[in-house]
Amino acid sequence: MSFALFKTTTRANWVTGVVILLVMIMYLAIIIPMYDLEIEKMIGLLPEGLANAMGYSEVFTGLTGFIASYYYCFLIIMFPMIYCIIVANALVARYVDRGSMAYLLSTPNTRLKIITTQAAYMLVSVTLLFGVVTVIGIGMSEAMFPGELDIKGFLLLNLGAMFAFYVISGISFLSSCIFNETKYSLALGGGIPVLFLVINMLSNVNPDYKWIGNFSLFALYRPADIIERAPFTFVAFIILILIAAVLYGSAIVIFNRRNLPV
Amino acid sequence: MSIIIIRNLTKIYSSGKGVFDLSFKINEGEAFGYLGPNAAGKTTTIRVMLGFLNADNGSCRVGELDCRKQAARIQENMGYIPGEAAFFDGMTGMEFLNFMAAMRGLKDRLRTDSLISRLELDTSGKIRRMSKGMKQKLAIVAAFMHDPAIYVLDEPTIGLDPLMRNIFIELILEEKSRGKTIFMSSHNFDEIERTCDRAGIIREGKLVAVEDINSLKAARRKVITVTVASDEDIRKLKESGLDIENISGNHIDVVVRDNFDGFIAGLNKCRVRGLDIKTQSLEQVFLKYYGQEKVEE
Repeated sequence: MSFALFKTTTRANWVTGVVILLVMIMYLAIIIPMYDLEIEKMIGLLPEGLANAMGYSEVFTGLTGFIASYYYCFLIIMFPMIYCIIVANALVARYVDRGSMAYLLSTPNTRLKIITTQAAYMLVSVTLLFGVVTVIGIGMSEAMFPGELDIKGFLLLNLGAMFAFYVISGISFLSSCIFNETKYSLALGGGIPVLFLVINMLSNVNPDYKWIGNFSLFALYRPADIIERAPFTFVAFIILILIAAVLYGSAIVIFNRRNLPV
Repeated sequence: MSIIIIRNLTKIYSSGKGVFDLSFKINEGEAFGYLGPNAAGKTTTIRVMLGFLNADNGSCRVGELDCRKQAARIQENMGYIPGEAAFFDGMTGMEFLNFMAAMRGLKDRLRTDSLISRLELDTSGKIRRMSKGMKQKLAIVAAFMHDPAIYVLDEPTIGLDPLMRNIFIELILEEKSRGKTIFMSSHNFDEIERTCDRAGIIREGKLVAVEDINSLKAARRKVITVTVASDEDIRKLKESGLDIENISGNHIDVVVRDNFDGFIAGLNKCRVRGLDIKTQSLEQVFLKYYGQEKVEE
């Protein structure tokens, strides 16, 4: 870890994080107050396929189930995904593509030190993103519907989402470490996560397509199972952490060994 | 004692270009010029030296350290100017220099300040908005600020105006007199001639010569365009045994290597209306190293 680099990386990327965070908070602020409105009727106005694709078909009881259904099935996947794709690309591939990586490497810091700093920024920022959303989510729920939130379930919901995004950011980060040009880094590092999201939506549309959902990473993140504390939930968490570790580990090893034409 | 040792270095890109079986040594305190036209392999050599690229074969060492595996330790004592200066988005010149100083753990900023004022660098503006020359000055300050023992400079004078180029050459000579080792690539022989003790000439990835700067000067081909008054003068010049490359109207291109006395004696016989030194590419200057095979092709 290089403190100087971490500071500069933060200065270059914090705005993206804050914008995504604000959008996520805004949606929380829209969705939570709807709990006592008859939102089901409103969703009923949407075309059925669209509502299903966004995961709104699984209607849970209670405030936690409500949030899990309307927030954690789609919105909390999409916005952090955009964040991971943009930032992971900016952390490594953009420096290599532009040539400014040469300046980082011409200082007495090893490649290992530089790349672990960038990886740390990615992980710390994803953690912060979900940490803040969790705290605000709990705060809003308690303020509007005191005592109705299953706080433990809500924490698990967010913990799982965070682990899933350690993996998503790991995919984008690995891709960023592999390619010399941002167009390829973005194609793979953005393409795979978006594909997972699309598969997940498809599998929700029609019970006939349910099986296809198993090919998405989000098979390991099922909000409905988490708030019911299905036993597989915890196995899924461990699998997510392991995949993330492999992705970040390979990214670091590859960056250390490769040619950098900067 | 050799400080930079390159042995049988080969690095081939997928395009088939690269450097092939390079070997040379640079002594401590020496200024070494690395001459070649664009795309000859100069930057590739430097990228291996900096540890950015893995060599396919052979090795590159600085002192006892391997350029690839111990790059970070080498960088403690190296100043580098990249061939194409690319900085970080959104920083001002000063923010960039502060960042580089922090990355190097550099506290003492006296030298940085004196370099800034010497190069007349304005550090307050955003780098994105700087002119090419200003960016190049910034790159120079970043490479010199930590007072390194070895300088690796990839076409350092690109974008500098002639005046700044002179200040830069002064700076190089000063560092040289302080015992620093300098490795400098260029496609311009003049600035290498003014600063370096020895030079290597690279052509299509292969080293075609490593020579003392004085022998290179002797091998150097200058073409001087002489404008004379009449056809009679042209005839006289032809007879004087000078190497005449081209005649158009009363402009005569004479090739001069180290026979300036003979050239002037030849001119003495005729009425000269004008003299002009033709600017030439490196290939034309060193026809000896670049030319022969081209003729055969």
